[in-house]
Amino acid sequence: MSTQRPSGPGSPQDVPPVPGASSGEFSIDPATLPGPIRDELQAPDPAAIDTESKELRDGLNHCPKCGATEIRHRAGSDKLICLFCRYEWTAARVEEEFGLGKGIDQLKGTQIASGAQGINADTASLRSFKCTGCGAEVVVNTENAMTARCHWCRHVLGVNEQIDNGAVPDAVLPFHIKKDEAVARIRQFVGKRQMFALKAFKEEFTPENVLGVYLPYMVVDANASADVAGFGEVETRRYTRGEGKDQKTYYDADVYQVQRHVDFTVDDLTIESSARRGNLDTRANTNNVINGILPFDTKNAVKWNASYLAGYSSEKRDRDVEHLQPRLEDQLLSIARAQVHSSVRRYDRGVRWEQEHLDVHGTRWVAMYLPVWLYSYHQPGSDGGMLHYIAVNGRTGKTMGSVPVQQWKLITAALTVGTIVEGLALWFIGR
Amino acid sequence: MDDDSLLFLLALGPASAAGLYWMLYRYYRNTDKSHAFERETAITAQPVSGKDAKAGEVRGTQATAISGNNVGDYRRRVKRL
Repeated sequence: MSTQRPSGPGSPQDVPPVPGASSGEFSIDPATLPGPIRDELQAPDPAAIDTESKELRDGLNHCPKCGATEIRHRAGSDKLICLFCRYEWTAARVEEEFGLGKGIDQLKGTQIASGAQGINADTASLRSFKCTGCGAEVVVNTENAMTARCHWCRHVLGVNEQIDNGAVPDAVLPFHIKKDEAVARIRQFVGKRQMFALKAFKEEFTPENVLGVYLPYMVVDANASADVAGFGEVETRRYTRGEGKDQKTYYDADVYQVQRHVDFTVDDLTIESSARRGNLDTRANTNNVINGILPFDTKNAVKWNASYLAGYSSEKRDRDVEHLQPRLEDQLLSIARAQVHSSVRRYDRGVRWEQEHLDVHGTRWVAMYLPVWLYSYHQPGSDGGMLHYIAVNGRTGKTMGSVPVQQWKLITAALTVGTIVEGLALWFIGR
Repeated sequence: MDDDSLLFLLALGPASAAGLYWMLYRYYRNTDKSHAFERETAITAQPVSGKDAKAGEVRGTQATAISGNNVGDYRRRVKRL
């Protein structure tokens, strides 16, 4: 039995029109159609921002001056340096290159930059390149690295093509804080938390083992409106009743039904785009301290170039826009509630918000690698123990961490202080 | 000394022990830290609009604030419409 395949005009057997050709896509000239239909036909595709660096597709980042591939990120700056001829240059800032800072209040629908597109689960993490220097096969594991050296001819190859496994973002924010400074900051952070720190943690503390990691984030611009409704109370009278020990304070208040509406735009809201890093459950992990070193100066992010990652580790994005939408909406509602706070100050007995509503008019999603110095310590225990992080923002130096505590010491100290206070209280009662 | 004051004084010991434990634990473990996106992100808001209508009165309550006051608790979600 032969399989029936759709054929003829309008079927997948039709030869697709050449992209950009004036005729062919529509058999009727859209200009002759009614306005609403014409607008829909001629509306731009939602993924309007193409951030791919096509010139780097072969995996070789050549020095623009001498053509060598020994390109490194120059520590402490946004520049790339050719180790062969010492020429320095900077990749273009995505903010200007793709106009990301502009028109947020005009945003409509969901715009997704090409590096933030959906992840295809079948796409392998291992990428093999044919070295254009010598023709050898070079493999890069995009789970944790974006560059590799050809072991035959020593050329450095980087993953620059936006493959659909989430490994190549739109932009990267290079490290500014050098390793020595990160080590000093971690040392200082732990130095202020010595007395009750876990003994094994103190003994094994080697901040020199800190790792520079590029972590995956989605940087979102949003145009939204929110409504909140609830009740607020204004104190009208305060008085006391009773005498001596029975004296009690009473309040009279007017109750108001309160509604608020706010239109707002958010520029560069930063959300973790890895399921593991986005899980901020403090009973199971310490990812919240990595979240705590945000924000980054994402305005200075540069167009993706794998050479920035040479010498650093990286983690791959595994979350798509649709997975992150609920988290974005949650954060937008929180922002709206913070924005209306100043308008309900007259309710001096507080407001009980009971209902909230969010309209997201438009969003723009850009995938970015952001630089984090990460020191980790694994505390053994039940359920696999706990992995404690001390994180340093690779741009601002903001440091946050989780230092494991020696429980018996902490409990002893608390009980000692409690006993002394209780002793004083008993002495006071017995006077 | 009345019963309330006595109870208060007796509770001081356990309360200070628990309070100190929590304070130090949080100082070391920082379980309460996260990105304050509400104020650390660039937000441009239009003037807030809205309505306020008197709905009733409360007389002689001993509560110092409205029940369920969540005006500063931005991250606690309420019923979504």
